[in-house]
Amino acid sequence: MNLKRQLLLVSLLTLVLPWAGYKFIHETESALRIGQQQMLASTARYIGDSLATYPEEFPHGPRGDETVGDQIYGHPLNSRPEIDGYFDDWSIERSSLRALRGTDGPVHFVVGVVDEAAYLYVEVRDNNVVFARPGSRTPDSGPTFFDAVTLISTSPLYLNETIVFSAEAPGPVIAVVRNDYGIKPDPSIIATWRDVPGGYQIEARIPVSRLGTHLGVIVYNTASELQSPAQSVTFTSRKPAAFVTVSPDLSRITDGLAQPGMRLTVTDTSGWRIAESGDLATAAAEDASIRSTWLRVLYDALVESGDAAELAEPDPGGLEGRDYVSQALAGEESAGWFRSAESGRAVVAVAQPVIVDGDPIGAFVLQQGTDAILSLRNQGLVRLMNVTLIATLLVAATLLGYATWLSRRIRRLSVAAEEALDSDRLRSSLPSARSGDEVGDLSRSFSHVLRQLADYNDYLRTLASKLSHELRTPLAIVTSSLENLEHEPLNEASADYAARARSGADRLRRILSAMSEASRVEELMAHAEPESFDLRAVLASTVVAYRDVYTQRMFEFDSDVESAAMQGSPELIIQMLDKLVDNAVGFSDDGDTITLGLEKEHDTLLLGVSNPGPPLPERMRHQLFDSMVSMRPGEDNKHLGLGLYVAKLIAEGHGGKIDAENTDDGVIFRVALPMPPG
Amino acid sequence: MAMHRRNVANCGDQPKTAPETDLAKKIAIVEDEAAIRENYVAAFQREGYSVDAYEARDEAMQAFDVRLPALVVIDINLKDDVEGGFELCRELRSRAAELPIIFLTARDSEFDAVSGLRLGADDYLTKDISLPHLMARVAALFRRLDAMQKPQSKVSRIVRGDLEIDTDRMTIHWQEQAVGLTLTEFWLVHAMARYPGHVKNRQQLMDAAQAVLDDNTITSHVKRIRRKFVAIDSGFDAIETVYGMGYRWLAD
Repeated sequence: MNLKRQLLLVSLLTLVLPWAGYKFIHETESALRIGQQQMLASTARYIGDSLATYPEEFPHGPRGDETVGDQIYGHPLNSRPEIDGYFDDWSIERSSLRALRGTDGPVHFVVGVVDEAAYLYVEVRDNNVVFARPGSRTPDSGPTFFDAVTLISTSPLYLNETIVFSAEAPGPVIAVVRNDYGIKPDPSIIATWRDVPGGYQIEARIPVSRLGTHLGVIVYNTASELQSPAQSVTFTSRKPAAFVTVSPDLSRITDGLAQPGMRLTVTDTSGWRIAESGDLATAAAEDASIRSTWLRVLYDALVESGDAAELAEPDPGGLEGRDYVSQALAGEESAGWFRSAESGRAVVAVAQPVIVDGDPIGAFVLQQGTDAILSLRNQGLVRLMNVTLIATLLVAATLLGYATWLSRRIRRLSVAAEEALDSDRLRSSLPSARSGDEVGDLSRSFSHVLRQLADYNDYLRTLASKLSHELRTPLAIVTSSLENLEHEPLNEASADYAARARSGADRLRRILSAMSEASRVEELMAHAEPESFDLRAVLASTVVAYRDVYTQRMFEFDSDVESAAMQGSPELIIQMLDKLVDNAVGFSDDGDTITLGLEKEHDTLLLGVSNPGPPLPERMRHQLFDSMVSMRPGEDNKHLGLGLYVAKLIAEGHGGKIDAENTDDGVIFRVALPMPPG
Repeated sequence: MAMHRRNVANCGDQPKTAPETDLAKKIAIVEDEAAIRENYVAAFQREGYSVDAYEARDEAMQAFDVRLPALVVIDINLKDDVEGGFELCRELRSRAAELPIIFLTARDSEFDAVSGLRLGADDYLTKDISLPHLMARVAALFRRLDAMQKPQSKVSRIVRGDLEIDTDRMTIHWQEQAVGLTLTEFWLVHAMARYPGHVKNRQQLMDAAQAVLDDNTITSHVKRIRRKFVAIDSGFDAIETVYGMGYRWLAD
């Protein structure tokens, strides 16, 4: 993994920032919410105490013999619906309708109360509507049967009435009241029967004063006049259950208790809503809600969710069945927390029982919108997200840039060091040498190492000529002494020794001369006046000469270049060629062919000397042309490894380059020489 | 070029010259290295010269103040006096314009050779030279000196077009102007011009010059010779380089 990736990975740590910020906001929000809940709870206790002073407003006591749900709930209506058999002018939602199981499908009904009038609306699925025969009074007493809706109204102990709605044809219906005194139509009850596909609908208005404390609805559905009808009944026990509706008196009381922005809902002991006041303020929440989609997604992912806010709404059926209501009815104080992801609206709810003489006579729910908290959190969250996002991006970008810069510096340094090593420019300064950091240190120590290497190379380069210079005088002593000795009378053995000593000294002289060759070539090049000459002609003539000199080798001159003008010293070029050919001869066998080639490539002349023979070891490739490096086989130790060094000096002196490569069957030395412009 | 380097102990066709008068010619050697000095003294004495050897410049100058020798052999590096030989040469030349002076030194750099010759030395030899070669050089110098004092003889002259070689006086004229060549250069030109058109390889030239010279030195010598001719005649191109082979004097 490179430095850039590593640092980028490290920069991911900045993601802790938004997390920490979120944690903080979350804590703040929880604290605020708990604070609000406690405040609401204390308000609720006060309300609970107040409500407890009106025990008469609560339906009496627990109804042990009734099943919760059997009760008929009178929904408070805002306006009077027209008695036309349709539900659409009712001021409550369709979801307020209760369903009963019927023969041909569900039976829906609802009861509403407005201005001392009770309204009944029943929707019956009936595949075969059987109308009443004229004169028939009750649907279940025979001799003929018909479809009908009856409302059973009782007040235990003294009242027991059944109001029958049946029709001889669709349209207005005359309700018939049956009680202990007989059966008779009641004109104060107005009703309409409306046929619809798949069934019928009945809408009726009954004065509240006609109704008892308990109500039940029975729908009779018969397949034919002769068949006894099936019943759909609202109550499960023998008798109808209580008729529960909003108490106007209690509503007045709660209107005075509920504060702005709060909703107060009071239920009886079964959970039926008997009063509702106030409303949740939501206007501000809309403004503070999170606008952009992605932020909302983020928000939902981060924020602790409450129950959906819709659940905080009053039950459309009138029976408040929430957990916290049930708990309150059981005598416990409880709280709920609702949140709408859609609008960002949230509701805190507190439910408490109303206790009189140690028994709960009902419960109430106090709800308050937590818009203030939410907007605080939302805005804080948005700001936090923005700031941390920018900070994270900034940190990541900075780290990325820094890593790029750092790795570029290091790469430049390493490239420069490699280049310096390859190209022999060991003294050139390296990048970052002046910076005070570790990269600078690295650069400086690289430079130091390279300088030492350069010093060592210089030492090696001059060693040969220095050595040869120092050895020349003692060699002259030996040589002149031996030459003098020749003039002295010597016996045979002494003469032999003297001759051997001379040949040894001669060899030594040749070695010394070879050792100082490099410095003489350098000197010569410094003073040489470049002349123009044709490299091809020079090569062609030298090849002829090589054939004479090295009779054991074949020489081939391979070039399709017609003329190759260049500037320089032809003598030195030949000297370079001599070294290369000498090298090629040394590494090839008798009978091998050594090929000299010349090519033109753009503005460069490529001179090649190739020979069959053992390949160059790869590790020696760069040192091959250094002073005193020889790769000749051990026994041939007369070579000091100066030949190729001299060849390199000459090539570079002409602005060229020399290198060596392995070929399929041997080695090729190439010299690239620049052509003069034009 | 890796030419065959023959053993140059036998120094070819240059005649050895014995002292011509009873009074042996006096040679002065200024050399700080005792062993070499003694060897040279012995060699010169064997050839019949009278030799005075000096170790340092002051010592030599004191002696020269009294009497000048016939020929002086000087080492450049005299003990701690690194350039002492050059100084000595300059002083001697200022006193005696005709005195033959030979540098015999371990310093083989081109720069030193040019410096020495510019100071008016007649030859610049490195200590690689063998004693017989050295003797031949010295004899040749004396011969030239002698020839200068005799009337010019027609026999000793070789004429090749614009070139005129006097083998006795060892002088060369180009277009009737004297070309100031050193002994080595003279012998190189002589070797090439004797058989115009023939390529002389480096070994042959080396033998002719009675010196052990490496390829670079021959190249430098030929360059210097050309330059000297060109100084007289800018159109000079009689010496041709035959790459890989050697040099030849072009016939007209």
